[in-house]
Amino acid sequence: MSNIKIKSKNLNVYYGQKQALFDVNLDINEKEVTALIGPSGCGKSTFIRCINRMNDVIDICKVEGNIEIDGIEVNDKELDVVSLRERVGMVFQKPNPFPKSIYDNISYGPKIHGKGETKSELDEIVEKSLRKAALWEEVKDRLDEPGTGLSGGQQQRLCIARAISVNPEVILMDEPCSALDPIATAKIEELIDELKKTYTIVIVTHSMAQAVRVSQKTGFFHLGKVIEVGKTEKIFKNPDNKMTQDYITGRFG
Amino acid sequence: MSNEHTVKSYEEELQFLVDSVIKMGSLTESQMVDSMDAVIKVDKDSIDKIIKSDEEINKFRSKIDSQIMTLLVKRAPMAIDLRETISSLKISQDLERIGDLSKSNAKKVKPLPLDLPEELLANLKRLGELVIKQLNDVLDSYVNKNYDKAKEVWEKDEQVDDLTYIAMESVIDFLSKDKKNLDFSTHLIFATKNLERAGDHITNIAETICYLIKGEYLKGSRPKGKVIQE
Ligand SMILES: Nc1ncnc2c1ncn2[C@@H]1O[C@H](COP(=O)(O)OP(=O)(O)OP(=O)(O)O)[C@@H](O)[C@H]1O
Ligand SMILES: [Mg+2]
Repeated sequence: MSNIKIKSKNLNVYYGQKQALFDVNLDINEKEVTALIGPSGCGKSTFIRCINRMNDVIDICKVEGNIEIDGIEVNDKELDVVSLRERVGMVFQKPNPFPKSIYDNISYGPKIHGKGETKSELDEIVEKSLRKAALWEEVKDRLDEPGTGLSGGQQQRLCIARAISVNPEVILMDEPCSALDPIATAKIEELIDELKKTYTIVIVTHSMAQAVRVSQKTGFFHLGKVIEVGKTEKIFKNPDNKMTQDYITGRFG
Repeated sequence: MSNEHTVKSYEEELQFLVDSVIKMGSLTESQMVDSMDAVIKVDKDSIDKIIKSDEEINKFRSKIDSQIMTLLVKRAPMAIDLRETISSLKISQDLERIGDLSKSNAKKVKPLPLDLPEELLANLKRLGELVIKQLNDVLDSYVNKNYDKAKEVWEKDEQVDDLTYIAMESVIDFLSKDKKNLDFSTHLIFATKNLERAGDHITNIAETICYLIKGEYLKGSRPKGKVIQE
């Protein structure tokens, strides 16, 4: 059995009057990929944003209940959010490199988290992160060019490199491939497979086939509730819940 | 199937696939009835027709294959749809093999003498009737997605094994009475064995249907009756 890295207990989230998550209980295993699926607006993004407290920046958003990482409560007001985000990196649907050089995109995080003191330390982190993100060979000769000049798939791998540059424990990915072509998607998926040896990964995806390819565990959300969680194989071959089945087979009204 | 697919053409494609398997099944069943009839009545005139119908069955099989491939790439079916698709592939394979066995039995009629003693064929006839009933039941359970019925077929294969044993014995008995019976007795032994094999394919189909319906394989090993030494 794998260790539980992240545990959510009776998590309820509200945007003003509107409740977006209802008593979400979900365990995320360490060094595994957990896929979250479900129709648009069911609360997947809301849920993963709870894991690194990205919802803090949304004024009307109120989070109740617990999210623990390694048994430590994330919602604790005393908790240092900056160090939390260092431990929990995030990759978004649309690649969003800073309007800076490829090098700066990667070195920025380690710098502010005090991870690279000297130029050579930073050089090393930049190279290692880009290699891990399978981008090094493509950009090693143009590190001072703007990150925004890369192709979409390269930009997304740059964002993944940026996320891993601070050596996090968890990487959250919110539809990381939705803007990518099949080849760029395949590269990211292969990368995810490699990254799960080191990191715990939570990925939101609208592609059922992608969930099957990359994840070991899958959670199905509907209208803010977790309907079914289980081994990915089980969910896609023989789910227990009829709603899950209807959704993954394209029978949702 | 539960709700309808959001995409109507997907629904239709799946239904079309299932319908093809059902049609192939009923073709296989009537071929087996004809083939059994030919053996019991030593009716040499119907051999050609049975061989012809086997070609028909094989054609169905390749048609189903191509439907499945299109469906897989086009729809990437999941859960019940995936099981439905894969089941149709497996069932059509077993049906094709059953068709081959019926054809093989029809061919065995050619060298048989017309004056075979009735008691020699009685047990073979019983075996044939049982296998035909099994095939009919298993196809029925497929059409109606009836788990219990499929499981019943699966369990009843034991009886097919037992009857095979008895039918074999009566042929061997007859053979031992007069060595000049050797020629056509071996044909009858093969025909008996073919029916037993058809029974095994029917059991495969029953297993497939159970998996299709519940998403889990039948537990335990297959029920086994008396087994003839190969
Ligand atoms: N900033 C916000 N302000 C108000 N309501 C919000 C906000 N973000 C999300 N919501 C609402 O919360 C619910 C859950 O949204 P969320 O973005 O988590 O869904 P999702 O599952 O990620 O959907 P999608 O697949 O479309 O990305 C929706 O009803 C949405 O309208
Ligand atoms: Mg979202």
